Amino acid sequence: MAHATDRLIVFENVSKFYGDVLGVNRINLTIGPGVTSLVGPNGSGKTTLMNLMTGLIWPTKGYCRVLGLTAHDPERFFRVVGYCTQFDSFAKGLTGREFIYDSLRLYGLNAQEATVRTNESLERVNMMDAADRKVAAYSKGMRQRVRLAQSISHHPKVLVLDEPLNGLDPMARAESMALFSALGKEGLHVVISSHILHEVDRISDQVILLNSGYVVAEGQIHGVRDEVKEHPMQIMVRCSNPGLLAAKLFAQDHIVEAKIHDDRKGLLARTRDADRFYSLLHQIVLEGELEIDAVAPADDDVNSVYRYLIGSEGATV
Amino acid sequence: MAVYKRNYKPYSGELTANWTRFLILPRYSLAKIFDSKLLVGFLVVCLIPFLVSATLIYLSGNPAVRTLLGMQGANFIGINNTFFYYLLRFQSSLAFLITAWIGPGLVSPDLTNNALPLYLCRPFSRTEYVLGKISVLFFLLSLITWIPDIFLFLLQAELEGNGWLIANLPIARAIVLGSLLWITVISLLALALSAWVKWRIAASGLMFAIFFVAAGFGEAFNAVLRTYWGHTINLVYVMNLIWADLFGVPMNISINRRMMDDPRTMTLPLGFAWLVLIGVCGVCLLLLNRRLQAKEVIR
Repeated sequence: MAHATDRLIVFENVSKFYGDVLGVNRINLTIGPGVTSLVGPNGSGKTTLMNLMTGLIWPTKGYCRVLGLTAHDPERFFRVVGYCTQFDSFAKGLTGREFIYDSLRLYGLNAQEATVRTNESLERVNMMDAADRKVAAYSKGMRQRVRLAQSISHHPKVLVLDEPLNGLDPMARAESMALFSALGKEGLHVVISSHILHEVDRISDQVILLNSGYVVAEGQIHGVRDEVKEHPMQIMVRCSNPGLLAAKLFAQDHIVEAKIHDDRKGLLARTRDADRFYSLLHQIVLEGELEIDAVAPADDDVNSVYRYLIGSEGATV
Repeated sequence: MAVYKRNYKPYSGELTANWTRFLILPRYSLAKIFDSKLLVGFLVVCLIPFLVSATLIYLSGNPAVRTLLGMQGANFIGINNTFFYYLLRFQSSLAFLITAWIGPGLVSPDLTNNALPLYLCRPFSRTEYVLGKISVLFFLLSLITWIPDIFLFLLQAELEGNGWLIANLPIARAIVLGSLLWITVISLLALALSAWVKWRIAASGLMFAIFFVAAGFGEAFNAVLRTYWGHTINLVYVMNLIWADLFGVPMNISINRRMMDDPRTMTLPLGFAWLVLIGVCGVCLLLLNRRLQAKEVIR
């Protein structure tokens, strides 16, 4: 009997360590059909998550299932998964056509079927004209497209694309995004990774933000944007009367938390609106009710990550 | 790009047998090798010992032709286990040169280009990958070792007749087993070096060093300590020892040394020689296992 999870990609409490180095930690995710974007800076764990999804590595803890399958059953598992890697992953000396044809033969397709599907996938990515040129002579965008072609050539149900828009010119980018979107609408699980959220948000049904191996936000694009916007910022204040400051802060609706330091010479405040917080602090100082020794954002790193992810100017938040 | 409007149908047809898929890998490697005129030329040169041996066997089996050519000695040349033993020893040197030439270029380009994830995100294991790569060397080296030697063996059996074939079957066994053993050792070593040393020339150089520099160290060790255990790191010596046993010929030891009762004239125990070869193959497999990982980046 088919379970509901047989139509999903499921990560259950998944951790992956490379020796002492953390890849991803305690990931709980459910990815349904449609386009899902993994967004995060370099080293955030996107590729690790994709490698787990494609059965290339095993979780140190927890389990990961793709449509109810794991790579323990390689024949069935790899038939439903297509992977487009991030790097120039080409065996030396091959033409684009040979590259795709070979990959299909590795899937176990006979020569005739492999030829038909090679042509079909090359056509899908508009690479028929360049199919018989050596991959080494391709531009970066063409390499990206031929990689994409090989990942869809065997008609997978789950398509995992690591930074698929890197190096594409605007036209090829638009075409690729249209293709991803269409494949998502056809019921495929299309998982795309990217550095920048706005790059993929127009086609994403679901967005997963990653940082330092953790999922920091997930859901539909609008929800994630709101979550990011409302992410409280921590500010540390060293002052003469933290109790008084805390009392004044709690009267503000943007203050989430204020915690007085053990030495009672400062506090840590969490606010959803840093500008209003600094204005208030300025006003209190002017009124002469307390003396400020130091003010510093306590989680600048996290905020910079968010700013980086949301990143683009003019992006709608 | 309107192609996505096509109906999306996963492949549900018949699949090729699992065990045949590793044969996809050598196709382009071999095509590339046979594209190189230099390499093809060298392969032809490697067949010269075969042609010379075929001529000798023919002459040996035809006294009339020898008479015509003015070669009228009573004992022309004995086509026996010693003949095939020395022939294989010579061919194995050529096989080594080919391996040092081709082997280092088999795995390192895939690692440099991060191509492994692409191979391994298919129903295709690392073992099959290694099998695919090593089969390139097995094919080429077989062409210049045991395949022509077996042909020569059959030629001799045909010329000699009178039950020579049956009486000398152990020679055929020694040819095949000895060749495959040598091919396995040098191929695994070449693949392991190719996986760890990115620069092809350096990998080839290292291969020579493992065989010849280590042999030199072994000899120096024997000379200084007046022992024979230094042969352990002399893979050519170890291999010769096993071949000599397989062909049933004595190891060639210098008479001067023997007369001096030099401990270096003693050979390694045969079982130990086998252990050394198994150990070398094991280390190569471990090195390959460690290097050939599917993941392309760490985080």
